[in-house]
Amino acid sequence: MKYFIPILFLVIFIYSSVKKVKPYDSFVEGVKSAVPFTVSIFPYLVSIFILCELFEISGISKILTDLLSPLFNLLGIPKELTKLVLIKPFSGSGSLAVLTEIFNTYGVDSYLSRSACVIYGSSETVFYVASVYFAGSKTKNLTKPIIISLFANFVSCVFACFICKII
Amino acid sequence: MNAIFGIVLILSTLILTFTSPDTVMSAFLSGGEKALTLTLKLLVVYSVWLGVFKLMGKSRLSEKFSLLLKPLNKFLFGKVPSTANDFMSLNISANILGMSGATTPMGIKSIRELEKHPNTEYAIAMFFVINATSVQVIPSSVLALRTSLGSTSPSDIILPTILATLLSSIIGVLLVKTFIKKPKR
Repeated sequence: MKYFIPILFLVIFIYSSVKKVKPYDSFVEGVKSAVPFTVSIFPYLVSIFILCELFEISGISKILTDLLSPLFNLLGIPKELTKLVLIKPFSGSGSLAVLTEIFNTYGVDSYLSRSACVIYGSSETVFYVASVYFAGSKTKNLTKPIIISLFANFVSCVFACFICKII
Repeated sequence: MNAIFGIVLILSTLILTFTSPDTVMSAFLSGGEKALTLTLKLLVVYSVWLGVFKLMGKSRLSEKFSLLLKPLNKFLFGKVPSTANDFMSLNISANILGMSGATTPMGIKSIRELEKHPNTEYAIAMFFVINATSVQVIPSSVLALRTSLGSTSPSDIILPTILATLLSSIIGVLLVKTFIKKPKR
């Protein structure tokens, strides 16, 4: 896997030089479009991150965790993993912190840790993807796709806790 | 989004006013700082990939590449403009290979290209759901973390992860196909 990017780059560089593309001019031209783009998503990122920060610090996330854990328990998600399931859609770094915490508390090879790994690896930061991919874009109606993604990710969390019991 | 933002804003500020009023400002600032760090990181990643993409685009290599993934793309997205198709193919392959740094710039570019054309709401929705349900095959970061913490068999989570990932993506794709209308063309 570690050879993938070097080889990909090499193929691109050699192929474009064979096709007589001006490498410096074209590269600069590409980079130029990165600046206005990044500036345009900055306000959205700031707002989303403030939202996540407030959510965590104010204790709303803890209240939600406590409220939802009995429900999650019915579906086979242990209460120790509720926080991970809830935080994953919002923040990649946040859920990585929770995952490390679970490793340290319950041991790396425990059932809880293995389920946590599968949950972490098989679900995605839905709100983060939505805010970055669509920052400042014309598409406004994302409600349906977001609900679908959240649902699909949630099912895979339930499945993760189930399959780790068998394997 | 406005509703969620408003509710969390009011509720959390209200709670913090009573519990610890001096953390309100610092919460806002630290959120902003995290966003700035990410933006700078994104600027660099995006610059590198866009530079390389330009070379790919000008040498017409990206067109050749997306021909490989054409059957899969056709099944998932229906008919899409070829410029968008190139970036979408790159994004999907980067996702599968778990090159997390590369998926974001390609994903954003795909959405921008799709939005330039009419009747692409279905493709946009499908593309988003695929990106938001994770199609990564090898969970490399988790494996590295487990190994570093002294797991006896770090790789025993690979199979469950692949199965769970597949399940979420399949459910996502099926739900999009059922609930979001494909444009007739």
